[in-house]
Amino acid sequence: MRIACPFCGERESGEFTYLGDASPKRPNFAVDSVAGPEPAEDAFYDYVYLRDNVAGVMREYWYHGGGCRSWLIAERNTVTHEFGSVTAAPGAGATKLAQAGE
Amino acid sequence: MVDYLWNAQSPLQKELVAGRHGVTAGQAGVTLTEIRGIMLVQVMARRGKAVETAKAAKKLFGVEPPSTPKAVIGKIATLIWSGPDQFLAFAARSADSQFGKLAEVFAGIASLSDQSDGRCLSQISGPRAREALAKFSSLDLDDTMFPPGATATSSVDHTPVNIWRDANGADGEAVFNLLVFTSFADSLWKTIVASALEYGLEASSAHAE
Repeated sequence: MRIACPFCGERESGEFTYLGDASPKRPNFAVDSVAGPEPAEDAFYDYVYLRDNVAGVMREYWYHGGGCRSWLIAERNTVTHEFGSVTAAPGAGATKLAQAGE
Repeated sequence: MVDYLWNAQSPLQKELVAGRHGVTAGQAGVTLTEIRGIMLVQVMARRGKAVETAKAAKKLFGVEPPSTPKAVIGKIATLIWSGPDQFLAFAARSADSQFGKLAEVFAGIASLSDQSDGRCLSQISGPRAREALAKFSSLDLDDTMFPPGATATSSVDHTPVNIWRDANGADGEAVFNLLVFTSFADSLWKTIVASALEYGLEASSAHAE
């Protein structure tokens, strides 16, 4: 299995580590807890613990630790292991992070 | 109080046995040279400062730092890509080194880390060098994929290495540079030696030029 790092080019999968689903968005405590702590706590519970078990294409975090040490977001088909687009995760290199964070 | 005497020494002090190893008939298929006396500084642009870092580098080195995996030769150093918005500045250690200027030029825009004694540089060449390298590196080092000046940050036996290719040697053969953390240097050296024995290996050390 080979993964095309947007910085390094195609590399063997052993240079990468897998984190998981890139879809969950970290809740913003300041925004979500305006009406009390419970909505924020529920949102954090979902964000930390709940994951879909996707059969098909999903967006995932991969870390190129054996190469350029960048976090990447890859589209992978969990059934066929076929990779689609692989792009730099927000904050890779010296790019500024978006305020809300992804 | 005890007086300590600090001596810079090669991490390959024990492992490097200069001379011919493995198959002794004919020309050595692989030459392996430890390059001693290096200056090496990691330069990483700070968040949002990639453009400023590139500008400062252009001013100091006379060349833009590489934005893709390449090594470019500048005025006082070779700049080796080591990841997005970061590079290694490499030069031979000398009394009139200009590396003191780095801290001043990159102040506030990039983070510097002196790796001169933190990494060990080995140079591999010879007609069978690629076959020896193929045993422990998963990179495609063919001319079409990895021409002179090409660079990669990769792993060998789970150990991070920076690899870049110099101009071909006087014999016309490709020259590959491998940078590895000093604490892994003897392990990598053993791996390279073991991989090259069947082609005949000529091992030596030299001072950086």
